[in-house]
Amino acid sequence: MGEPMSNLHNYNHYVSEFESFGKNGASEYPEWVNTLRRSALAVFAEKGFPTTHDENWKYTNIAPIAKTSFKYASDKLALDDPGHQVGSFMIEGLEHHSIVFINGKFSKEYSSIDELPAGVIVTTMREAVRANAELVKKYISQYVPLENNAFAALNTAFLNDGVFVYVPEDVEIDKPIHCLFITSKAGTEHYAVHIRNLIIVEERSKVRFAFSYRSSDENQNLTNVVTEIVAKEGSDVEAVKIQKESDSTYHVENFRLHQFAKSTVNVFSLALGSAIARNDMSVIIDGEGADCNLNGLYFTAGDQLIDHHTFMHHIHPNCPSHELFKGILYGNSRAVFNGKVYVEPEAQKTDSKQTNRNLLLSDTAVVDTKPELEIFADDVKCTHGAAVGGLDPVHAFYLKSRGISAENAEKMLTVGFAAEVTGKIVTPEIRRYVDVLVVDRLREKLGSLGLPDIVHN
Amino acid sequence: MIEIKNLHANVNGKEILRGINLSVKAGEIHAIMGPNGSGKSTLAQVLSGHPAYEVTQGEVLFQGQDLLEMEPEDRARAGVFLAFQYPVEIPGVSNSYFLKAGLNEVRKANGLEELDSMQFLKLLKEKMKIVEMDQSFINRPVNEGFSGGEKKRNEILQMAVLEPKLAILDETDSGLDIDALKIVAEGVNKLKSPKNATIVVTHYQRLLNYIVPDFVHVLVKGQIVKSGGKELALELEANGYDLIKEEIGAM
Repeated sequence: MGEPMSNLHNYNHYVSEFESFGKNGASEYPEWVNTLRRSALAVFAEKGFPTTHDENWKYTNIAPIAKTSFKYASDKLALDDPGHQVGSFMIEGLEHHSIVFINGKFSKEYSSIDELPAGVIVTTMREAVRANAELVKKYISQYVPLENNAFAALNTAFLNDGVFVYVPEDVEIDKPIHCLFITSKAGTEHYAVHIRNLIIVEERSKVRFAFSYRSSDENQNLTNVVTEIVAKEGSDVEAVKIQKESDSTYHVENFRLHQFAKSTVNVFSLALGSAIARNDMSVIIDGEGADCNLNGLYFTAGDQLIDHHTFMHHIHPNCPSHELFKGILYGNSRAVFNGKVYVEPEAQKTDSKQTNRNLLLSDTAVVDTKPELEIFADDVKCTHGAAVGGLDPVHAFYLKSRGISAENAEKMLTVGFAAEVTGKIVTPEIRRYVDVLVVDRLREKLGSLGLPDIVHN
Repeated sequence: MIEIKNLHANVNGKEILRGINLSVKAGEIHAIMGPNGSGKSTLAQVLSGHPAYEVTQGEVLFQGQDLLEMEPEDRARAGVFLAFQYPVEIPGVSNSYFLKAGLNEVRKANGLEELDSMQFLKLLKEKMKIVEMDQSFINRPVNEGFSGGEKKRNEILQMAVLEPKLAILDETDSGLDIDALKIVAEGVNKLKSPKNATIVVTHYQRLLNYIVPDFVHVLVKGQIVKSGGKELALELEANGYDLIKEEIGAM
């Protein structure tokens, strides 16, 4: 018998989990949330988890996730206190607002939200569904389709908590907002932590985010995130994701960005952690003159698999979009990059560039890279390129010809390979922090790297 | 300084150098001229240890050491420097980090103390004046987005920082306008001393108006066919390489 066409065998588990979820904590939510949850569970029930027969999951076999009966991380669950570690997950040298969740549960103790400009809301989803119900209702699940999207459906069925941010018109928030999600072990069970983030940035406002996903130990939890960002006309947003959960975890995010006219959004995905990690990142460019930068760096080792699926949807004319994803692979690890660009007939003068470069540093690492361009406008500039290979010996020779040893030349080129893309992060403190994490990870593989100032300042 | 004896080299199995003999002493400037495809750049690359070239015969002694046995990095540490004809762009590695790493390797190999970041920056800024480079280049990735002229200046900057004993300039004049050419040439002249030597590889005589050679060698088909003083360069400029080719043909 081959692989089943769907992974429905765990459906009953999630139904009973859902019932238990309903009795424990979920019931205190407004009825419209429960309605949304129930309909999402019904969508999940139709097909269950995807298999590799599904075109979208062809290269990423999530059977280990589908087969595990993850328990939902309920409020009443006694959690190991990872408190002593929270500090180490903060971004050094950065004055920021922080909102911290431990196994999906808001931690007031470790969060610190300073005074915010008038009208700005930075709170938890749990709070927002009550206090800001109209806003949440208007936007939630508008941008993430649940059909054929088991993880988003499951996330919505178990919608519980996450970050809710609302920035009214003409506001600039000086300090970045750091949303930190930590998972930890709790007994021997494997937990599913469903995180739901909703960010609404009104016209001409500016805000920067870091979303960190970290583990305090070697747990085997599933972090299942849905993040929806709405960037209204003329807004300026940066969202940097830092995923460094332990190598034994599973991580899935459905990231949806909806951009209106003249908005500028800079998105970055740093993917270092998990046994299997999947980032679905979709951008709808829904207004003339909107500018999207979508970049990422993945670094895999051992048996890790990190998958990025991006979708850049151009609806209106005169919009640039730039994507640069780079990967560094060691060991038996695998990476997937699937980048789709869809240009509607009306989206003339689209200027879209997509690049995926992979550095294979072992003979057994594998990359599947697939650009997909569907262009229905005739006056556009759309380019794409993909490369997989080792370090360039001509580059290495140049460094060696200046006295640098072969070994250090390799390290320098590898760090440089990464730094080219981390340099796309706009907020300097976040960029430096990301560089430090990358250098730390490389150091684990390459040994001492010398000075961290290899990377730009 | 350097003694090249009967040097033969191949690239992709094709023989490019066919018995080069050349001796360069400290304090001297030698120009190697020749038509396209004569092997000028190959000679420069072979001396610096480029992995694409295979030496099949001959010997090169650099200050008494067997240069051909040395790794490229060891040649650099011993004082051999190649200013590349086509310097590569290295994204993500800053110019200053790269140069500091190189300089400290060279210093270590020569029993000198390594420079810290402050000391290095001070040195770098001084050297940048020699080639009139803007300080914004310090933290830019190596050669990335540099114009042709900026790349060549960056090569001479590296030479100024590393202070090699033997500098080999491979077509450093190509792609330079006259102002950039003067700056680069002046940089080279400022770095000249009785203790170091320079080999200038060029197709055209123009650079030699600014970097005046003590000796000129004409390379044709992988061999030095004629040597002389600086007047030989002018002769070549006036008559082109064809006359020499004819002379050889007649030999």
